[in-house]
Amino acid sequence: MNVTIPTLTSEFYGASLPVYSLCVGSVVAMLQGVSKRFGSDKAVLAVLLLSLFAALGGVFFGAPSVETSYLNGGYLVGDLGRVGQGLILGIALVVTLMFSATFLRRKFLRGEVASLFLMIVTGMAVMVASDDIITLFIGLELSSIGLYALVGYINPSRRSQEGAIKYFVLGAFATSLLLFGFALLYVATGTLRLSDMAQILPKLLDHNWVRLGVLFALSGLGFKLGLAPFHLWAPDTYEAAPTGITALMATAVKVMVLVVVVRFFAGSLGAVYDVWLPATMFLAMVSMIVGNVMALVQASVKRMLAYSSVAHSGYMAIALCALGGTSNDFPVAALLYYLIGYSIISLGAFSVLMWLENDQNDNLLIDDLAGLAKKHPWAAFAMAVFMFSFAGMPPTVGFMGKFFVFNAALSNQLYSLVIIGLVGSAISLFYYLRIIVRMYMSEPVRVAVPLVPNRSWLVCGIVGTAVVANLALGTLLPEQLLKSLVSTSQEVAAKKVKLAPVAKAH
Amino acid sequence: MDFLNHHVLSLLTFVPLLTAFAVLLSPSLGLARWVSMLGSLLTFLLSIHVWYYFDGQTSGLQFTEIHNWIPTFGIKYIMGVDGLNLLLVVLTAFLTPLILLSVWHLDGSKQKAFLALFMSLECGMLGSLVAFDLVFFYIFWEAMLIPMYFLIGIWGGKNRIYATSKFIIYTFAGSLLMLAAMIVLYILHFEQTGIYTTSLLDLYGAPPAYPTQMWLFAAFAIAFAIKVPVFPFHTWLPDAHTEAPTAGSVILAGVMLKLGTYGLVRFAIPLFPEAVVSYAPLIVGLGVIGIVYGALNAWMQTDAKRMVAYSSVSHLGFVVIGSFALIGGGAALSPEALTGAIYQQINHGISTGALFFLVGVIYERRHTRLLADFGGLAKVMPWFGVMLIVATLSSVGLPGTGGFVGEFLILLGTFMASPLAGSVASLGVLLGAIYMLTLCRKILFGPITHEENKNLSDLTPREFAYLTPLAILAIVMGVFPNLFLDKIRPSIENLANNYKSYKIVAEAPALNEAGDKRAEASR
Repeated sequence: MNVTIPTLTSEFYGASLPVYSLCVGSVVAMLQGVSKRFGSDKAVLAVLLLSLFAALGGVFFGAPSVETSYLNGGYLVGDLGRVGQGLILGIALVVTLMFSATFLRRKFLRGEVASLFLMIVTGMAVMVASDDIITLFIGLELSSIGLYALVGYINPSRRSQEGAIKYFVLGAFATSLLLFGFALLYVATGTLRLSDMAQILPKLLDHNWVRLGVLFALSGLGFKLGLAPFHLWAPDTYEAAPTGITALMATAVKVMVLVVVVRFFAGSLGAVYDVWLPATMFLAMVSMIVGNVMALVQASVKRMLAYSSVAHSGYMAIALCALGGTSNDFPVAALLYYLIGYSIISLGAFSVLMWLENDQNDNLLIDDLAGLAKKHPWAAFAMAVFMFSFAGMPPTVGFMGKFFVFNAALSNQLYSLVIIGLVGSAISLFYYLRIIVRMYMSEPVRVAVPLVPNRSWLVCGIVGTAVVANLALGTLLPEQLLKSLVSTSQEVAAKKVKLAPVAKAH
Repeated sequence: MDFLNHHVLSLLTFVPLLTAFAVLLSPSLGLARWVSMLGSLLTFLLSIHVWYYFDGQTSGLQFTEIHNWIPTFGIKYIMGVDGLNLLLVVLTAFLTPLILLSVWHLDGSKQKAFLALFMSLECGMLGSLVAFDLVFFYIFWEAMLIPMYFLIGIWGGKNRIYATSKFIIYTFAGSLLMLAAMIVLYILHFEQTGIYTTSLLDLYGAPPAYPTQMWLFAAFAIAFAIKVPVFPFHTWLPDAHTEAPTAGSVILAGVMLKLGTYGLVRFAIPLFPEAVVSYAPLIVGLGVIGIVYGALNAWMQTDAKRMVAYSSVSHLGFVVIGSFALIGGGAALSPEALTGAIYQQINHGISTGALFFLVGVIYERRHTRLLADFGGLAKVMPWFGVMLIVATLSSVGLPGTGGFVGEFLILLGTFMASPLAGSVASLGVLLGAIYMLTLCRKILFGPITHEENKNLSDLTPREFAYLTPLAILAIVMGVFPNLFLDKIRPSIENLANNYKSYKIVAEAPALNEAGDKRAEASR
């Protein structure tokens, strides 16, 4: 391996603007934490928004037109990375705005919290844009540590601290699994670069360390993704965290991990698909079953959504399995479509929850939603759209995503996964309908804590946008989004290693 | 005119949806009522336009609209009418204003939402009737469930949440099967031809290989059989009907159930012709069981609405056996039976729609539907009696009503296909007469046993206004069947004789040439 000292061009600064602006924002916010004069909530919000918008600008305008690798693979910008960064930044923006409009505003808009928040986003932006295991791991840790802290720190209570500890202990364990897997892969292949690994692995097919390494890495990533049986932290942590952070965990973390897994499966680990394909199929099946069944019996909305997110991770894992097939280049497009749709729906649903919560009740039960349609018809309408969308009913983006994912799976003969997915969808309708039944068809049962949301235009705008985007991507615009995702898909497919020798061995 | 002829089906489908939005935005309920009525009347006029300009000489697809929708996956926006869906489109557009009239007097804080949901339901039904692309169809087919779910769940009876959840989960589960089958069909078609397409125009005539066909047909057939419902998938129906508000029952029985039988004829039969031959005995058997079982159940009911609901199970059994009457050793479908099946769908929509309306009329006056609570109403409500008798006679298929034409054609064709099935089904006609006349007798005749029934008021002008068109139509359809059948005959014969290699060509409206080229170019 020849290490060259990279020359940093202006192009590089443009391409890495997302990461830089987030870093700078994080540092500035940290300083604001100790300043009386510049530490007001408005000033912190300004810094948060500025750095997020600057980063978004970098994603849209700074990146080179073809996939380019900088710093010996430490930073890799292409369509896939940009889609990931764009999504993560968009999610972070929505979460920030929602926090600033609800009862946790003062607690969230503190210098140290904002600093941690931007650190999380930085880590995510690094992780989705790296071709190097070390950078990737640093990004992951950066985001995880911030998340562990924010689960318990923003609005401390026994419950949230318990959730944070659980998340931290299990998360640290999962990280060590991941790291061990990476180490084994490094020992076997002798390289840290994912793209080099892709070239070397085909020669090491029967190397036991490779197989072990892949399985360990997959377990670690499965944990972050909330795939069963690594999902046990999810319900407790989702319930314990402030809802905005829950939204971030349900969406941005999934985006981050899935982008990386796509890089692994389609690129570097393509040759050893006979190791990860059965394992991922197993994870997908268990997640769909466990998620959908456990969600049936939950009383808390956030817990139910946690199990539903486990199930949705399972659906997305179906698309990951399709990457192991030989068919076309649609799996990545299908996965990203599902991911984008899922992020919109989740953000929308959690935003509605954030809107309804107050400092007496920040963990709504499904029964608390009773009679919502009467009191707040538009909130109930939005929630109903999101629930139908989660269940995959047309004309919503949830249906389109599910259609594309099943399409990708059936093109690759993954019949068993699709059957379980279908059964799971039918079950899932049941618990999503419970929310709708409560909102529309029953009278309020617990009036002790009335739901009195503030009427903020910002909240209405965010929820409204989510509803419109949801319906538009389900009816009028799927082609527009799909077209751009197909080009991403082709970028990934171009790196796919020829699988012919492995196929023959079977 | 030019614009209208090229976009009439899109307008027809989406005017109700726009109306729904307008209803939601109207400041007062009074305005919302008028808006919804105007929107539904406009839709009805558009459907009459389609019917009037429909060319009855050809079996092709007319008023076709083709646009690319998701070209990456070969999914298109295709709408068209032929003889198989023409009458159903008109029926849907015809029933909606009548139903709106029937709820005109209801108020309450949620009534605007009721009207909006109803109009979006109409959009879903019309869309799934005219859609000619699998995915495009599926969107409407599923989206339709959402308004119906709310209609039953919010405005239904005591047990409404159970009924509506059962309804939506049953139908959704069936539809998911169909979705998987659609995707498999799409992939197989790609492997055969190298073209990604979900357009029926392309998929017809290129069926997948035989053993796979069996699976795909089963998935489609189960989805549609749940909707019809065919025995043993019928258990959601009596619950849904009993709990639904009158308007919901009318549209459910009048149109939504027909979408199941329409789906069988439009999708399951021509897409998987060889599987039809293998499955026909099973389906006809289930149809016959449904006829007898539904009739016996209806006979035993004490609740008038439940009785009419079970009669639907029985009557739709006729439609199902009529659609699967194979003659000539499976070489063709019996054209008589198929014609009867299509015709019977319309008749059932009208007669059962009227029956549900009538049950609603007495329920509003007495707040009970138990047959034992009535008796002798003919004396106090003579006009109600007239309407009920017309609807009953049409439902039992008395000569001179539409029901006779439909059932006769179905039985004629079925006898040719399978004398056994024909004979048992005829038993169903007999049973039908027994329970429907029992219903009539218990409500209308005999002494007035309940004090409350002595002072019931007869039909109001508004009730007349929505019942009379149905009564007239029931008789017109019996006396002048050719008025309706002439237009649809070529399409039915094309399907019946060529179902094994079914092809349908898209024809432009005869009035215009330029638009035809435009449609071709966008294909």
